[in-house]
Amino acid sequence: MNQKNPANRFRGGSRYVLDDELAKIVNVSMALEMPLLLKGEPGTGKTMLAYAIAESLKMPLIVLNVKSSMKLVDALYQYDTLTRLNDSRFGDSSRDVSRIEDYIRMGKIGQAFVAEERTVLLIDEIDKADSDFQDDMLDVLDQMQFDIMEIDRTVTAKNRPVIVITSNAKKDLSDPFLGRCNFHHIAFPDPDMMRLILGVHFPNLSQDLANGCIEAFYGLRELRGIEKKPATRELINWVRALKADPDFQAKSLSRANIPYLGILFKKSGDLNMAAQQIARTR
Amino acid sequence: MFIEFFFTLRERGIPVTPTSFLRLQKALKLGMVRSIDDFYTAARAILVKSERYFDTYDQVFAHFFKGVTLLEPEDLELTEIARAMLEEWLKNPAEMAQALGLDEKALKSMTPEELIRYFFDRLKEQTEAHHGGNRWIGTGGTSPVGHSGHHPGGMRVGGRSRSKSAIKVAMERRYRDYSQEGPLTEFQMGEALKRLRRMIPTGPRDVVNVDKTIRETMRNAGEIEIVFDRRLADRLKVILMIDNGGWSMDPYIAVVQTLFNYARSQFKDLKLYYFHNTIYSRIWKDPQRRHQAEPIDEFARRDPETRLILVGDASMAPYELMHVNGSIYIEQRESNASLDRLKFLSRTFRHAVWLNPQTEEEWDHTWTVGIIRQVFPMFELTLDGLEKAVQHLMAKH
Repeated sequence: MNQKNPANRFRGGSRYVLDDELAKIVNVSMALEMPLLLKGEPGTGKTMLAYAIAESLKMPLIVLNVKSSMKLVDALYQYDTLTRLNDSRFGDSSRDVSRIEDYIRMGKIGQAFVAEERTVLLIDEIDKADSDFQDDMLDVLDQMQFDIMEIDRTVTAKNRPVIVITSNAKKDLSDPFLGRCNFHHIAFPDPDMMRLILGVHFPNLSQDLANGCIEAFYGLRELRGIEKKPATRELINWVRALKADPDFQAKSLSRANIPYLGILFKKSGDLNMAAQQIARTR
Repeated sequence: MFIEFFFTLRERGIPVTPTSFLRLQKALKLGMVRSIDDFYTAARAILVKSERYFDTYDQVFAHFFKGVTLLEPEDLELTEIARAMLEEWLKNPAEMAQALGLDEKALKSMTPEELIRYFFDRLKEQTEAHHGGNRWIGTGGTSPVGHSGHHPGGMRVGGRSRSKSAIKVAMERRYRDYSQEGPLTEFQMGEALKRLRRMIPTGPRDVVNVDKTIRETMRNAGEIEIVFDRRLADRLKVILMIDNGGWSMDPYIAVVQTLFNYARSQFKDLKLYYFHNTIYSRIWKDPQRRHQAEPIDEFARRDPETRLILVGDASMAPYELMHVNGSIYIEQRESNASLDRLKFLSRTFRHAVWLNPQTEEEWDHTWTVGIIRQVFPMFELTLDGLEKAVQHLMAKH
C-alpha cells in the first residue's frame, strides 16, 4: 500500500497474529484518517489489535474504557471542582485558586489530543454507552477539537491519533456514527489460524498438544445450547492451565476426557450443559 | 469508477452512502488499492458498516467482478499462474498430469515451455465463465481443475494457496451466518432490552453531589459542607406473561425461550406467568399451568408502573376470546370473557405490550390478532420489534 513510508505501515505485533485482510483495513483507515470500528465475538482479539498497532508503530497507546454511565465530557476533560473548593477554603496547595486551568485534567481523548507525538487511541466497548455519547464523540473525533467550557479554550489535536473503536454488540450503532468509521468484523479464526495464534503465545508448545487442544476446542464450540462459546482468550488460558499441570498427558486428551472445563465455559449453565454432553459421548 | 458496483450494492439493500463512496474514491486516489484483493477489503471496510451485509456484499462482489476480470486477464496474472504451475509440476507431476487431463508420461516428456503453451491454449478456449462445461475453468465443470477458477489470478493450480483471491473469498460466503436472516440470540435481545431500565437512587449515600455541595458551602459562608447522594440503581418491575400452550406456539419455543432466559437473568424484579392462548380468570406461575394459579383480579394491587409484557401468537378461535364460557378447558367456569380480562390488564398497567413471534404480515390472517391489537400495542418478536416495544414501554404516557 503506502510504499513510500514503510515505517508507518502496520504489519502486526509480536503477540498478535494478523490476517492480511485486517492489515489492509488498518492501513486504509490510517491513510484515510478515519476511525476503525471493530466488531466480533468476545475474545477474538479486538482490543489486542490496538495494542498490536501501538507496539508495531511504536506509538503510545491510550485506552478509553467506555462505561455505561459515562458522559462525553468525562472522556475529554475533568474540572476538579472539589479540589478547587478545598483549596479555596484551606489554601495550602501550590495551585492558584483563581486559575481554573490548574483544575482541568485531561480525559483519555484529551490526552491523545495534547500528546506531543502521534498516539493510538483505543475506545473500548463503545456499545456500553448510549447513542448520544457515541454521536457526540464522533463529532469530536471528526473535527479533532473540543471546547473546555469553564475556561473558554479550544483544544485542538496536535497529531491526529490512530483511532480504534471496539464494539461487542450485534446491534448496529447509529447511522451517522457508522458513516464516519471504517468497519471490520473479526470472524472467528479457523483452526489453521488458531494454530498460528497458539504458536505466538506458546513458542515451544508440542505439536501433539496443539493439535489435541485445537481439535477438542472446536469440538466444544459445536456443542448445542451453549450461550457463551469459548473464544480465543479461553483457549489460550486453557492451554496455559494444561501446560501448568504436571500430571497432564497430551495423549489423554480426547472427546470424552477434557480437564479444566471451567476455564472454557464461564457460565454455570454452559458448564453443566457441556459436562453433560461430554459425559454422553463417553 | 465502480459506480455501477455502488448502485448494485444499493439495489441489493446494503445502505451504502454517497459519502462513503467518495471516501473509497479517495482511497483509490491515494494509491492504497492496487489489486482486486485490496479493493475487496478496502471497499468493504469503507462501504459496508455491518457484518449482516457482508454476505450480500460477497455475493455482489463475486457477481460483479467475475465477469470483469475474466474478459481481460492481465499478463502479470498469467505469469503468476505459469510460475505456480511449474512449481507444482516439479513437486508433484502425477497430480499435475491429472489436473491437466494429460497422461503422466506425456507430461513428463513436455518441456516447461510446452507445458505453459498448452496451458495458455486451454485458457484461450474460454471466452467467458461457463459452469458445468467439460472445458476448463468454471465451477461445477467436469474438468478437475479450478473449482474456483473465475479469476485466473485466483486459480492456483499449485499446492495450497496461502492468500486466497478476493473473489474466491467472496464466493465462500463466510458471512452467511451473520446475514439478517439469522435467528434472534439472547445477546441481541440484551441489546434491545438494555434500555428497559429505570434508575432510582438506592443504597447508602456515598456519591458526592457537587452542585449541592457548592450551594450548601456557600450557604454555610464558605465552610465546606459536602452533600452525599445515593447511587442510581435499576428498579424496574417487569411482569412477563408467556403463552406456552398449544401447537400454534410450538414453532416459536426457541425464540421465546431465549427471551425468557434473558429476562430472568437481567431483570431484578421479574414475575413470570404462563397462559394458554389467552387469559381468563387465572394465570399460572408454573409452566405446566396446574399448581400455582393466581387470580387476575389480584393484579389490581400491583404497582401500576410495572411493565407488562405478554408473549404469544394471539391466534385462537374467536369464541375463546369473546365468549364468557370461551375457555378451552371445560372445568373452567368464567364470569367474564377473556377479552374483558385483557382489557382489565391493559387498564391496570399503562406500560404494556404484546410481543408476537409471528411476522407482521401473518397477523392479518388471524381475526383474534386484530382484536387483541386493539387492546395491547403489538410488536413482532424480532430485533426491530423489540426495540419499538421497549420504546413504547419506556415512553412517558
